[in-house]
Amino acid sequence: MIGFISYLVFFSTVAAILAIAVLGLNLQWGNTGLFNGGIVASFGAGAYGTLILGGTPQDGHLGGFELFYPLALAGGMAFAGGLAWVVGRLTLRLRHDYLAIATFGVAVAFENVMRNATGVTGGAQGIRGFERPLQNLLGSGFSYNLVFLVAVLAFLALVYVFLERLTVSPFGRLLRAIREDETAARSLGKSPDRVRLAAFVTGSVIIGLAGGLYGTFYAFVSPQDVLPILTFQIWAMLIVGGAGNNRGAMAGAFLIWGAWTFSGWALSRFAPVEAQLYTGSIQFVLIGMVIVGMLLWRPQGLFPERLVVSQPGVDTGNKQRD
Amino acid sequence: MKKTLVFAAVAAGMTALSTGVQAQDCTTKIGAALPTSVDWGRPIAEVAQFAVDQVNEAGGVGGCAIEMVLRDTQVDPKVGVDAAKALVDLEGVKVLLGAVSSGVSMPILSSVTVPSGVMQMSCCSSSTAFTRLAEEGKTKGLWFRTFATTAVQSAMGAKVAADKGWKSVAILYKNDDWGQDMAKLIAADFAAAGVEVTVSVAINDAQPSYRAEVTEALGSQPEALYLALYPTEGTSAVREWLSLGGTQNMILANSLKSDEFRDNVGLQYLGGALGTDTASPRVESADAFKAAYQAKFGSEPNGPGLANSYDAAIIALLAMEAAGKDASGADIAAAVSKVTDPNGTAVTADAAGFKSAKTTLAEGGTVMYQGATGNVRFDVNGDVSAPAVVWKFTDSGTEEVEYLSLTEVDAFIASLK
Repeated sequence: MIGFISYLVFFSTVAAILAIAVLGLNLQWGNTGLFNGGIVASFGAGAYGTLILGGTPQDGHLGGFELFYPLALAGGMAFAGGLAWVVGRLTLRLRHDYLAIATFGVAVAFENVMRNATGVTGGAQGIRGFERPLQNLLGSGFSYNLVFLVAVLAFLALVYVFLERLTVSPFGRLLRAIREDETAARSLGKSPDRVRLAAFVTGSVIIGLAGGLYGTFYAFVSPQDVLPILTFQIWAMLIVGGAGNNRGAMAGAFLIWGAWTFSGWALSRFAPVEAQLYTGSIQFVLIGMVIVGMLLWRPQGLFPERLVVSQPGVDTGNKQRD
Repeated sequence: MKKTLVFAAVAAGMTALSTGVQAQDCTTKIGAALPTSVDWGRPIAEVAQFAVDQVNEAGGVGGCAIEMVLRDTQVDPKVGVDAAKALVDLEGVKVLLGAVSSGVSMPILSSVTVPSGVMQMSCCSSSTAFTRLAEEGKTKGLWFRTFATTAVQSAMGAKVAADKGWKSVAILYKNDDWGQDMAKLIAADFAAAGVEVTVSVAINDAQPSYRAEVTEALGSQPEALYLALYPTEGTSAVREWLSLGGTQNMILANSLKSDEFRDNVGLQYLGGALGTDTASPRVESADAFKAAYQAKFGSEPNGPGLANSYDAAIIALLAMEAAGKDASGADIAAAVSKVTDPNGTAVTADAAGFKSAKTTLAEGGTVMYQGATGNVRFDVNGDVSAPAVVWKFTDSGTEEVEYLSLTEVDAFIASLK
């Protein structure tokens, strides 16, 4: 029983961290219609930034500034934001699939830089030597994981409230206006380019926060953490949960990550020994089928977007966007 | 629901059939987190299961049959760490085998096994970062790996070049932690042995072509080529190297000791190729492993990490036997020295060896496990050193060209300093 709770805490921590990243993507895609194919770049920037700024000195790579933890985390988020600003300036004029390809390219480039810039990032060995905050006080066992989970959930709640407020604000309405019809928005005197950039950077900072927490939790990050599979996982979470709906985004994160880990556990427990070696491949097939099924039968996701009007009280009901 | 139950029952039945020939009425679980969904990862898991089967054949550990609960890491750190955590918390394992990639083993070590006091034994993680972590005392003695440090491998590469009289060498290395370590070490060793390194080129995984990288290496006009690659990328790179007129003088790291690589490149082009590897000892146990492996899988145990994976599993189980019933992960880790004691009774790497080890341990003695990778002995950081061998490809597999004992290896490494 203790083991089960301990595992549940661990699982929830990772799921909640991923949920923060999905919320960031939801701002970009769900609300603004920006197809970000390079989520891992922001995620990785947050993780690397946090660990480099907050870690202890190590031979062979940059870092060891041993900054006060909140500062290190903020630094990681700033790094993610800065990167997003540069990338956004260069690529946000592109539409849909072109933007997806460009940002995907940025993410692959990011991974390669992390892998090869040995002097800065430790290369393929990654960055270690990070001391998790308060670890001396709490030890590294169950109580630490519990406190960490509470902290991550607090961050998740904070981001959720922030995005909910943003969505109903005039700015949120502007984002959706741009998503639906950019020319119309422009005709009303809005500047879509600036707004798109703002949304892209904000979303990336949120994803960077997730990356920073992820790096903190494992006290380690390497190029293997920023492979394109993560982009795929986070997109799957948003699609299943429901693009444009923050609660859907969070539910999607917990569901997909749950399915990902539970299928592995179930296969290892129930599949015959002869099939054990193939469970990894079976798992990929199962997850792929869930996503395809979702797209076929419920493309709006589990929690479809709600139509939101800026002034509370004149809500016109839960009409879906078609 | 009914269906699920039936399925579960059938699955459980099959599990019982495949492991339950023995009469033990209890089972002890050990965990394995290995990348079974990757082509080179599956055989590593197969051979670990094979080791467990042999131990069960010898009567299991502490009178209980061993069940290895295998989880796929998908070479994804998140997935691997979660799998390890589930094994420790839900299955209650005290011993974890894995992972393969250092980038997965490291977060498992720092966030799962060390905090939970579980012994972790990896077959294949090669990063030097583990040694540094252990030196800082952060592994709490729970970390072991049967992959001999890259230092032995690279020193042998330098020896081959020096012996052959090759004056200049180009290096192609896999662009991961292992490859980057190898490239750094081998460059230093070549320099120490008076061999010029003309260029050192990184090879990224899964590229459609390596023409650019190969051309760069070729342009530096080396007398020989050093390859620290895995079979798939190694095949592509070597094919392009040869088709562009590169030399057949090649030095291969042990990761290329694979039938797949030999067949896909073609034996006729590998006449000038010499490989290095950590060696099996000159005892029957290594042959026993080879023979048993051949009987089971129908080919020689060639391929990255197979012998290492076997030894990792057996040593972990021997240590469990030595630590006794209900031992904690730390107790088992402490018992590793009892089963890899150079002054202990020698035991072979098969079911019979495990049986005799059990007798010796029960009488309070210590054991020297003569494994598939040699007389494995760990230093305080959980690293192993090993004898070395130079090999070449033949029709049926590989053939030994030269053998160096542990003493000779140490002496040669010292001469490079």
